[in-house]
Parts: sequence; C-alpha cells; structure tokens
Amino acid sequence: MNQNASNGNDTPVVVMERIVKRFGTITALNGVDFVVNRREVVGLLGDNGAGKSTLIKVLTGVYTPTSGTISIDGQVVQIPSPRVARSLGIETCYQDLALVPLMSITRNFFLGRELSRHLGPVRWLDLAKMDGQSREALRDIGIHIRSPHEKVGKLSGGERQSIAIGRARFFGAKLLILDEPTSALSVGETHKVLTYTLNAKERGLSVIFISHNVGHVYAVADRFVIIRRGELVGSYAKDEVSEKDIADLITGERER
Amino acid sequence: MITLLGVFLLFSLFVPHFLTMRSISGIINAATMTGVLTIGITLLMIAGEFDLSVGALMAVGAFLFGSVIMKGGSPVLAVFLGMAVPGLLGAVNGFLLIKTGIPSFIVTLGTQFVYRGALYVASGGIMLQTIMDAPVFHLLNGKMVRLAAAVENANFQTAFLWLLALVALFQFLLMRTKFGNHLFATGGSPSAAKATGVSVTRTKLAGFIISGVLSGLAGIMLFSQYKTAKIATGAGEELNAIAAAVVGGTLMTGGSGSIVGALLGVITISMLRTGIVLLNLPFIPADNFEAVVGLTIVIAAIFNHWIRGRS
Repeated sequence: MNQNASNGNDTPVVVMERIVKRFGTITALNGVDFVVNRREVVGLLGDNGAGKSTLIKVLTGVYTPTSGTISIDGQVVQIPSPRVARSLGIETCYQDLALVPLMSITRNFFLGRELSRHLGPVRWLDLAKMDGQSREALRDIGIHIRSPHEKVGKLSGGERQSIAIGRARFFGAKLLILDEPTSALSVGETHKVLTYTLNAKERGLSVIFISHNVGHVYAVADRFVIIRRGELVGSYAKDEVSEKDIADLITGERER
Repeated sequence: MITLLGVFLLFSLFVPHFLTMRSISGIINAATMTGVLTIGITLLMIAGEFDLSVGALMAVGAFLFGSVIMKGGSPVLAVFLGMAVPGLLGAVNGFLLIKTGIPSFIVTLGTQFVYRGALYVASGGIMLQTIMDAPVFHLLNGKMVRLAAAVENANFQTAFLWLLALVALFQFLLMRTKFGNHLFATGGSPSAAKATGVSVTRTKLAGFIISGVLSGLAGIMLFSQYKTAKIATGAGEELNAIAAAVVGGTLMTGGSGSIVGALLGVITISMLRTGIVLLNLPFIPADNFEAVVGLTIVIAAIFNHWIRGRS
C-alpha cells in the first residue's frame, strides 16, 4: 500500500457503478457496485447463480450491461467486445475456456495476437519468434515448459493455468481475472496457482479471484466482494472478516 | 499417411495391373475433383462445421461456366462466374448458420436441395453439352499430351497440377497464417477463441466462402474435362469429400486436420475403388465395392482416433 502511495496513482483500475443486467424478465444483476484498486487481489464470491459470472462477463465485454457505467483508470468506457476489454488491459483466465487443448503452447499464447512477417501483401506467422517469446515469457514468471510445440491438452490443470497467467502478464494486462482457477486442481497444483497469483500481484497487476472455495480465496485476497441473487452484499477488507463470516455472507445466513 | 502406404503396398503386391501407368493415372484423375472439394470441406471441419452443399455448388459452377463458354463468352468471365456465384451461395450458408445458430449440417443439408432446385429453374432442367473445344478447357483440365506421348498410358490431366498447387496454397494458409490459426481455435474451442478476441463468425464465414469457391472450381474442372453438366452433377460428392477428409486424419469434432492429409485421403479412397474393381473378387461384385470403401473409412477413422489417443 505504501508503494501505491509513492507511485502517486490511487485511481482504482476498475470502477463499476450501479450495473444492471437483465435477460428478458430475469434480472441477473440489480445495481451492483464493484471496485478493484491497483495491486490488489479482490476475491469475488457468491453462490451459483448469484451473478459473479454475469458481472465478470459485463466487465470483459461478453455482455453489454442494461444500465450502469464502467470506468477503467478513471475513464468512463464502453466495452462492447472481449477484444476491447483486452485492449483496455483486462485479461481473463478461465479454467479451460481461454486455451485450445488441440493447439500448441505457442499458438495458444499468441492466439488472437499472432506475430506476422510480410512480403508485400502476403503475411505469414512468425512462428520462430513466437516460440522464443512465449518460452521466455513463461520462464520469466518461473514456469519451465518442455517444448513450446507441446499441445496444451497434454498439460496439467496447473500448467495450463500458468500458461494463461504468463500470457496475460506478457501482453501487459493490468487486471487479471481468474475464474475458478482452482476448482479442478489437486492440492499441489492449487498451491502453485495461488503462488502465481501472488507473483502477478507483486509484479504490479490487480487480480480478481473468483471461486466457490472460500479457503483458496481467503489465502490470496486482500479484499472480498460478496454478491447474492444479483445484489451486492458488501465489500470487506481481510482483517474485517473470518473465513466463516464470508461463508455465512455468501449463503445469506448472516446479513452484512 | 500410413493408411495410404498400407493400401498402396497391399494392392501393388496382390492386385494384377494395379502398378501400371494406366491405373495410377486413372486413380489420380478420379481423385482430382473430389480433392478440390475436400480442401474446402477440411477447412470447415477444422473450424467445426460441415458443408453438404458442395456437390450442388459444383453443379452450379459447372453450369455457369459451361453456359458462358457455349455462348461464346469470355473464358475469364466464365471462370469468374463459375467461382463467384458458388462462393456467394457459400456465404449464404455461413450467414444462415451464424444468424440462426442451426447446425451447419442441417443448414447445408437443406440448402443443397434449394441450390439444385434454383439451378433447375434457372436452366430449365436441360443437360448442358458441347463438342466445342476451348483453350480454357485444356488449361484447367485437359490431357497432358506431351507426358502421354512420352510415357505409355500416362493419361494424366492438368487439373491434378492445379490440385497440387491448391493443396500447397491452403496448407500454407492453414499452418502459417493468422486465418489458419483462427480456424483451429474456432473448431478446437469456440469459447477460448472468443475469449482471446478471435472472430469466430468471420472465420466460419470465410470458410464457407472458400468451400463454395472451390466447389465452383471443381464444377469448372468437371465441365472442362467432360464438356457436359446436368442438374445432378456432383450429387454425392459431398460425402466422398467428407470421407476423404476423415481418412486424411481430420477430426469430425473440429480443431484438428490437414490439407496434405486431405489429399492423401482422397487418393487412398480412389486407390481402394480402383484396386477393388481390378481385384474382381467373387464375393465383392464390382457394383458393391462401395461397401469396402465404406468399411475402410470406418477403419481409418478408428485408426486415427487410436493414434491421436496415443500421441
């Protein structure tokens, strides 16, 4: 936090205000406020169908909100597509969604942002350069891959997650969204992913960590935002609440 | 690749007249036009889609090309129309899929009849036929006269050279360009493709347009060789092309495949047809050889699946 102040930049990375999202007659989000500060890991919690995913999909341009505003670095923005979200520095690491199992590490790493060479109008992929850069970028955050040509489908869940995190960092993301990063992982793999999350924060990124598993979120998050049935329950600093409190707030056994 | 070599070796050893110039050129020629269709089908299957309208679009291409030439029109215009209109109809397939979300298998199952019906109405149901000789026929699918003169029974057609060029071009497109990368991503995991900013709809639309254009080209090649086209031209070719793609190692579920594989697949199937007819086995009457081809397709699919599981 002190470092934050010395940077002289206290503008939150993301401010979402009074976000409403309706699907026909169903209200998925009913006026939710959500803030992510710089170099902060925010745990986003809620039961199935509470609206976590919808909120994140609004932020990443998958859904357009019915009403409400989004500001990135203090600027009000429209996010009509995932491409725009990425250009604003928002990267999502889904458990499986953002990687194509049948494609190589390199091709996944640069998917949608391929490096090309060209001769006149003919453009082709610069595979050698992409191989080198992806290998280097992964080594940089402590991930050693056997070969950049290896298919992502052959990797373990934690390795896949690390590829996604390495990719986000390489492409200059300022906000990393981890959607259920640990839901299908073994204990050892989970530990690795939590370490990468903290590494990402140390390197200046903000992180939204979405999970059902209160224990995993509690281990890494600085602050917890809880939503229930499309509405904000509250935002709590780590020293304000215990794991038990959070679990009760998610289910609604305790109100605020 | 292994399947192709296996079939080739087996037939070479046991089938009389198999390893002759006559049968080899026959195998190649029979594979050529299906090969052109298979390139488009393979691209689409990699993107997770099917195009059952390629046979009908082949007929549309053959008709447009043939009628322009027969009216004494410019060959450039004939080739352009014969490829552009099927390309446009391919785009219609793509639009229907994207706008309605109905599986492409169903969309193109329907549109193939619509396209053939439209061709029937537009042409009055006639059979197009000519005895005229145009240089464009020789260029696109003529006999390679000098080769035939040099080597006895080497009756190769120029279209095979075009096919080889197309295979090289599309293999490059698939493996070495952004578009190719996006095709693999679109079929391998549409959600991941979207999440990384790949335009899944645009990629699929481009695939359908390419498939349409190539179908038109196959029709043009067909007319150049036989100088005839009818409403039923190309019927059933869509399934031959899908079979060739599968034998060539392309996944039915999308995300994996290759154009070189497609070429090998189409040659393998053609080899089987010729080989089985030449074998003349008592329990496989010549008019039932398709059953053996069908069996091979199933075996090849299982084999490919097994190899993929191991590697």
